[in-house]
Amino acid sequence: MNPRASAVEMKNIVKIYPDGTIALRGVNFNVMKGEIHGLLGENGAGKTTLMRILYGEIKPTRGEVRVFGKKVSFRGPWDAIRHGIGMVYQHFTLIPAFTVLENLYLSLSAIEKVSLSDVEERVKNLMEKTGLKVPLDAVIEDLPVGLQQRTEILKALLRNAKILILDEPTSVLTPIEVKELFNILRKLKDMGITIIFITHKLKEVKEITDRITVLRKGKVVETVNTHEVTEVDLAKMMVGREVFLKIEKSPPKIGKKVLVIEDLWVKDDRGLDAVKGISLELHEGEILGIAGVQGNGQKELAEALAGIRPIIKGRVLVYGKDITHLSTAERYRLGLAYVPDSRTIGLIYDMTVTENSVLTNLSTVLSKLMRILWNRARSVASKIVNEFSIIIPSYDSPVRYLSGGNQQKLMVGREIIREPKIFIISEPTHGLDVNATEFIRKLLIKLRDRGKAILLISTDLDEILQLSDRIAVIYEGKIMAVGRPEEFTLERLGLLMGGVRA
Amino acid sequence: MLKAIRDRIRAKFEDYTTTTIEIVASATIGLIVGAIILYMFGYDVIRCYSIVFTKGVRDINYLLTKASPIMMTGLAFTIPMIAGVFNIGGEGQLYVGALTSILVAYYTHNILLAATTGALAGAGIGALIALLKVYRGVNEVITAIMLNWTLYYIVLYLITNIYYDPTIPHQSIPVPEDARIGYIASPWGSIRATFFIGVVLALIAYYVLYYTKLGYLLRVSGLSPRSAKYAGFDPNKAIIYSMILGGAFAGIGGALLTLGYVPYIDTTMSIVFGQGFTGIGVALLGRNNPIGIIFSSIFFSVLIIGGQMMELLTGAPPELADVLTGVIVISLALPYAYRMMISYVRTRRMIQ
Amino acid sequence: MIEDILSILSNTLIYMVPILLASIGEIINERSGVVNIGLEGILTLAAFTATVLTFTTGNPCLGLIIGLLVGTASGILHGVISVYLRGDQIICGIGFNAFAYGISVMGLVTIWQQHGASPPVDTLPMITIAGRYSISPLTILALLIAVIAWYWLFKTSSGLKLRACGEDPHAAEAMGVNVLRTRFLATILGATLAGLGGAYLAVGWIGQFTRAIAAGRGFIALANVAFSNWNPILAILGSFIFGFFDVLSTYLQIKVQAIALTYPLKAIPYIGTLIVVATFIGRARMPKALGKPYIKE
Repeated sequence: MNPRASAVEMKNIVKIYPDGTIALRGVNFNVMKGEIHGLLGENGAGKTTLMRILYGEIKPTRGEVRVFGKKVSFRGPWDAIRHGIGMVYQHFTLIPAFTVLENLYLSLSAIEKVSLSDVEERVKNLMEKTGLKVPLDAVIEDLPVGLQQRTEILKALLRNAKILILDEPTSVLTPIEVKELFNILRKLKDMGITIIFITHKLKEVKEITDRITVLRKGKVVETVNTHEVTEVDLAKMMVGREVFLKIEKSPPKIGKKVLVIEDLWVKDDRGLDAVKGISLELHEGEILGIAGVQGNGQKELAEALAGIRPIIKGRVLVYGKDITHLSTAERYRLGLAYVPDSRTIGLIYDMTVTENSVLTNLSTVLSKLMRILWNRARSVASKIVNEFSIIIPSYDSPVRYLSGGNQQKLMVGREIIREPKIFIISEPTHGLDVNATEFIRKLLIKLRDRGKAILLISTDLDEILQLSDRIAVIYEGKIMAVGRPEEFTLERLGLLMGGVRA
Repeated sequence: MLKAIRDRIRAKFEDYTTTTIEIVASATIGLIVGAIILYMFGYDVIRCYSIVFTKGVRDINYLLTKASPIMMTGLAFTIPMIAGVFNIGGEGQLYVGALTSILVAYYTHNILLAATTGALAGAGIGALIALLKVYRGVNEVITAIMLNWTLYYIVLYLITNIYYDPTIPHQSIPVPEDARIGYIASPWGSIRATFFIGVVLALIAYYVLYYTKLGYLLRVSGLSPRSAKYAGFDPNKAIIYSMILGGAFAGIGGALLTLGYVPYIDTTMSIVFGQGFTGIGVALLGRNNPIGIIFSSIFFSVLIIGGQMMELLTGAPPELADVLTGVIVISLALPYAYRMMISYVRTRRMIQ
Repeated sequence: MIEDILSILSNTLIYMVPILLASIGEIINERSGVVNIGLEGILTLAAFTATVLTFTTGNPCLGLIIGLLVGTASGILHGVISVYLRGDQIICGIGFNAFAYGISVMGLVTIWQQHGASPPVDTLPMITIAGRYSISPLTILALLIAVIAWYWLFKTSSGLKLRACGEDPHAAEAMGVNVLRTRFLATILGATLAGLGGAYLAVGWIGQFTRAIAAGRGFIALANVAFSNWNPILAILGSFIFGFFDVLSTYLQIKVQAIALTYPLKAIPYIGTLIVVATFIGRARMPKALGKPYIKE
């Protein structure tokens, strides 16, 4: 029995979903009062499910939960809030059209009777005490992500949260914002607040936590003291096998200049400049990795190259030909292919495997009279399915019945089959398990060896470092630096991504 | 290989079973509510319903011919629906189609020309609705209703003040005998070719939707406009093309009405009124599928004719058909949700 | 001339009431995220029931109340289907319009053996100004309701919560708002106001029930909601404009004594609405989650 007081005790938690999926298989999770406890695991390990049970969003199928020693059975988040548990989600639960103050007021008035001025006073006191400053009258959607997150934390603290759960908080932050967040967390710890930090990032969990619990496939692998383990130990626990962080690849055989981007300017959905004068070159047989935190213009850049987003200023040339004003369909015909970062855009969930297989190259299966030759479409589909080992219920099943990994393979494979000359791919392995990730990364190397030009956009630095022949760092719509991977240390990359010229 | 076939059959079977249940359930709920209302108003329910379903099908020619315009307005709702647009302007589009075909037939005696211009008139109105949506952001439901009423009065004005029949009161000028759709011999007697023309058009719609580039564009844009842009399509074009087609079908519905059923429009507009709205019920009961629409149009025709017979023999108002249509449509608003929830659960299973 | 203008003005204040009431109601439920296309049906059904009750009891106030309650009942139906059963809101509304029309006309035929219009019934008394211009007491009530609705939606915390449901229901739920219940209640309230408008049509103004009594006003109200950018105060302006078109149509039909032009003149309210909406719709910003059923994560 540990002499320090317990904040959270979860005993033998089992969770089975109505459709039969087993998410948690008897998890024991204990957090001490006043510590920062890391919950580490891959996608699908069960971290979020476990925390959602703690926060009262879902009920465990079996098991017991104790908060500050008292047995609890939450009927909903409001119960958990009353017991002092606050959750900061990965995807914020703020209302974008309302101001910071309105959002805080809304959340507080849900649990107690307060006036707007009451809330304003309390917030100001809190900001003083914790050092967490946010402009109260700013509209949420106009604030940078770091400040939005702070609003979320303030929200939880206003409701007297003594236990703060943070779900992948750094996935949307720049390295500088991450540092600021960690300072805030340390300050909160000094104030006696218990923090549970959900993540899959090894470096961070090593930096900020006191203890770490590693989950794998719904079970606890081990709970360790942070300073007693290395990142390699943690990786092994997470994955269950030796993780090879290096992919074998031969040196690139650089060919002709394929893509030239000249002083490109593109606006985002809100009408603000997202790409501010980017110039880049891409050659046959090379992978150019664009590194950067989400939201710095990569998406707008990729969409502008694909023709989905209008180019305000500048030019794009393919083999010397100006394609700046060509339509998306024409660019695809010229040999450009684009795989977006979101499967909901790249695939149509209600359409069949066959129908999705010809989404970007319909013209190849059309007869002279605009008739679709479904046999031909079917053979395209089977080519993709076989070459990329995609598991499908049938060619006529809607794509939504495929698993995420297979959907991703379909989306990527469809573009590769077209033998494009320029391949723009964004977040290729986001949300995929280790096997699928390895498969796709090896595929990209193969493509590059066949002489294709690849523009790789990824927020995963390991991926960028492994695969790229050249790296360009993007920050706030500008290229901070371009060079070979050897020219960048992890630290230098972090600084560049955070806007510091290093 | 065998497993793939078995899976495919199972998937299709599940799909068909769900659809059948939806259709039967909503029709049943409709009939039950209709029965309650009849009873409330003091009519003999059993007698009313038996008249509707027996007398309704007595005259095959009448049944099928009357089903044809609503089959067309059903398609007029479905084609834009597939592209993500609510076309409830079938009423107005049918009015202009009917009047145009009468006028062209009257002056040229050419049935093909009359039908084509009727379709073009409807298509024009459809295009107007689409353009206002795409370029001015006006919601298509509002535009369509405003146009429905406007066209109602314009057509009414034209047939009472300019194109009226001097010999027969309360009627527009008629379609001349040689411009009307003829008869086909069948085991049930002579049947006007109107219905079969309609079926052919429905099959053409099916073909266009599922076997051509245009249909693919409409379907993709309706399911996911962002994916459409990614694929290189222009979702705005989908809105415009689908409304042109939808309007054209409603216009043809008007043409079929005048060229192949009643060769004039009466000044109470009773011949054309409501054909567009009933088409929406036909489309929904036919699950927004051209083949299904062929059958649901016959079902609704039974209800309408049966309703008329019922009024004749028992005095019960034929607006019972509106009640039945309304309840069927409402109960069909649910399966969309039911399906959504099933696929939601399935997706979660896959993600875990 | 001045008399004509004042008369048009006072008539507009009478004509605009059903549109204004239906618009305010619809603004309330659309702000919470639910769209009700069935306004036309509610107007018709409420008008019908109001006429029946007033006919039997001779008291138009009772008619007003029953029409209002019919609106409430319709709201409950639409709310259950759209909010709790996650049904398709637009299709449900379209179906309801057909259903309400069917029942009303069936009732018209059964009770009075008439196919076009019911016999006349007593109406609510009008307020007379300056001896010869009348406006309805309900005009004042409607204007009051509009102002109260505006204040409630934008200046109170419950209004904030309701608007949150229409902007981002997941965020609202996470902040402790019961989204489903809020939307359900908003739908009921909205439909109730529309029911009041429908009852007014029959027993506050026209004085009988006709099968085409709604005359597209439910849809004009929908147009008005977007035109007013979901703001009850602007909805007053919109209702006034659309009511004016209605009055203009009637006025011209009387002034221009040509029977031939009756029909085109009757089309004025609809063409007018279309032109106004097409011209001014520009910057309207609709609630982000409007029309999409809320499914808890």
